[in-house]
Amino acid sequence: METVIANIASAIPGTTGYIYPNEFELHWSLLIVIYPYLTGLVAGAFILASLERVFKVHEITPVYRLSLVTALAFLIVAPMPLLAHLGHPERNYEMFLTPNTSSAMAMFGFVYAWYLLGVLLLELWLDYRRDIVKWSNEKTGIARYFYKFSTLGATDISPKAIEFDEKASRFITIVGVPSAFLLHGYVGFIFGSVKANPWWSSVLMPIVFLFSAIVSGIALMILVYMISTMFRWKKMDMACLNKLASFLLYAMLVDFTLEALDFIHRLYESEESITILSEMISNRLFISLIVAQIILGSLAPLVGIIMAKMGKVPDEMKRMLYFISALLVQVGIFSTRWNVVIGGQLFSKSLRGLTVYKLELFGLEGLFMAITLLIAPVIILYILVKLFPPWMDKPELDVAAAKEAVAPAKETE
Amino acid sequence: MQRIPQQLIPLIIMIVAIIGSLITARTLLVPDSFGDLGHYRADNTGEVAALELSYAGAHVCADCHDDISETKRDSHHSGVACESCHGPALAHTEAPDEFIPDAPRGRDGCLLCHGYNPARPSGFPQILPGQHNPTKACLICHAPHDPQLPHTAEDCSACHREISNRKQVSHHSSVACTECHKATDEHRASPRIVRAEKPRKAEVCGNCHARGADSSREIPRIDMDTHGGRYICWDCHYPHFPETNL
Repeated sequence: METVIANIASAIPGTTGYIYPNEFELHWSLLIVIYPYLTGLVAGAFILASLERVFKVHEITPVYRLSLVTALAFLIVAPMPLLAHLGHPERNYEMFLTPNTSSAMAMFGFVYAWYLLGVLLLELWLDYRRDIVKWSNEKTGIARYFYKFSTLGATDISPKAIEFDEKASRFITIVGVPSAFLLHGYVGFIFGSVKANPWWSSVLMPIVFLFSAIVSGIALMILVYMISTMFRWKKMDMACLNKLASFLLYAMLVDFTLEALDFIHRLYESEESITILSEMISNRLFISLIVAQIILGSLAPLVGIIMAKMGKVPDEMKRMLYFISALLVQVGIFSTRWNVVIGGQLFSKSLRGLTVYKLELFGLEGLFMAITLLIAPVIILYILVKLFPPWMDKPELDVAAAKEAVAPAKETE
Repeated sequence: MQRIPQQLIPLIIMIVAIIGSLITARTLLVPDSFGDLGHYRADNTGEVAALELSYAGAHVCADCHDDISETKRDSHHSGVACESCHGPALAHTEAPDEFIPDAPRGRDGCLLCHGYNPARPSGFPQILPGQHNPTKACLICHAPHDPQLPHTAEDCSACHREISNRKQVSHHSSVACTECHKATDEHRASPRIVRAEKPRKAEVCGNCHARGADSSREIPRIDMDTHGGRYICWDCHYPHFPETNL
C-alpha cells in the first residue's frame, strides 16, 4: 500500500489542494517570462531617449543614442522567445498575410513591425545619417561599402538637410512615445484581458507593465552607460548619471504605487479568488514576489538611490549605489514578469489548489535557451555599437585623450 | 516648387516596396477561399470531405451483425462504435470475404479508455494496468460487446480512481468512503441506476471535526455553530483532499 501511495504522490509532486488535470503542467514557460521582460527594456530605453529629444532634458544627452541602439538590440531579440515557444518560426509571416483583427496576440506582428520599422530604425537612421555619410567617405574596404549602403543613397549633409533630419527625428520621437507605450501596454493588455484568470484580469495591468518597463529601461541604461564608459576608459558624466537616477527614482515611485494600488484593490475587493491568491503569494511566490520583487527589487534600490541623492555622498559612492540599485531593479523587474506569467498559472481555476513550475534545463523552453536569449541582445548591442558608435561624450571627460595629451608634454620636458 | 528632401526618397521607395511586397505576398500566398466562412481556408472543408473513406459506420455493421449490434445497444459500450476496436471496415462492407477486420485480443485497445487517467470523469471504470490482472487479456473476464464486472466491485476505486488516488495521499486517507457516502450493494452492482448518496449536512464532517466529537485528538476542531457562517463545509474544503495543513 505504501508503494502505491508513494507512486501516486510522485505523480503529483508539489501540488497542494485540488487542481484540474490539465493544470498540472504550465503551458506558458520561462520564455514567456523573458518576452515581456525584453519588450519592457526596449520601451523603457526608448522612452528615456525621448526625454532628451522631446522634453529637452539635455543632461542625458550622453545616453541618447546609446538608448536607441540598446532599444534596437533588445527589440531584435524580443520576438525570439515567442518564436521558440510556438515552435514553428517558419510560419511567422502568416500573421502578416492573414491578420486576425479579433486577436490581440495575432496583432503583435503589426505592433512590432510598426515599432521596429516605423519608429526605431527610422529615428536611428535619421539621427546617424550625417555620421554614416561621413564614415562612408572616411572608411576603406568593406566598411566603406557597408556605410555607403547604409546611407541608402541619401548623401546630402548640407545644413538644410541636417536641419530636416533633426525635425523629422523629433517628430518620429513624438510619435514614438505613444508607440512605445503601445508596445508594452499591449503586452500588459494581453495578460489583463484574460478575464478567466483573477491574477491577470485587471485594467491596471497595461499601466503597471508600462511603468515597470520605464523603470527597467532606465535601470538598464544606467548599467549599459556605466559599463560601457568603464570599458572605454572614459570618465562618467555625473550630471547624466544623477539625472538618470532621478528619473529612475520617480518612475519607481509611480510603479511601486501603482502595484501597491492594484494589490490593495484586490485585497479590498476580496473576490472569491483572494484566498488561493494569498496562499500562492505566501507559499509559491514568497521568494520571487516578497523577497526578489518587493524587498530586493523595489525597496532596496529605492533606499539606495534616495541615500545617494539625499545624503552627502562622494561621487565614487554614488556610482556604486546607482550601479547596485540598477542591478537590483533588473532582478526586481525580472521577478515581476516571472510572478505575472508563472504566478498566473500556479493556482487552479477551481481556486482550491496550487501546482508547481518545473523548469527544464535543455530543450526549446529550457534554462539554457532562456540564458541564450538574454545574452543575445548584449552581443547584438556590442556589434551595433562597434558599427555605429553612439558615444556623445563631453571632451573634458575623455581620460585617455587627457593622458595622451599629458604624455607628450612630459616627453618634451 | 520646393524640392523633396533627398533622404525622403529612399524612405518613400522602401515604404512603397514594403507595402507592395505585402500586397503581392497576400495575392500570391493567401488562398482564394480564405475568410469565406471564417478565419480559415473554406476550401479545406471540401478537400477533407473528398478524402477517400475508410470507415463504414456502426449502422452498416448492424445490417449483417444484427445480433451483436443488439447486444451492444443495451450495454455499457452502446456509445462505442464498432470500428473503434475493429479498425476501419469499409473494405469489409464492400468485399466481406476478402477483407476481414481485426478482432483485437490484447489489452492495449481496452486501456485506451480504461487505463487510469486523472482527466477522465469520476465514475468511469479505470484500472491500474500493472495491478489489474497484468498477464490476462481483458476479454477473458469481460465480454467486449456487453461488458460486465465478473463480480461486484470490491472497492470504490474501481470506478472512482481519481478521487481514491487523491484521498490516499490526503489527511483523509484513513477515512473510508462509506464514512461519508452511503454506497449500497445495489449501487455497486448497478452504479448508473442506483446512485451513491452524498452527505447533505455539515454534521457529517462534524462527526470528527466538531469541538465535542469523539475522535482522535490530532484531528482539527472547529466550532460548528460559528465556523464558515452560512457556507457548508465543502463549499470551501475539498473533502477528498482537504487543504488545511494544521
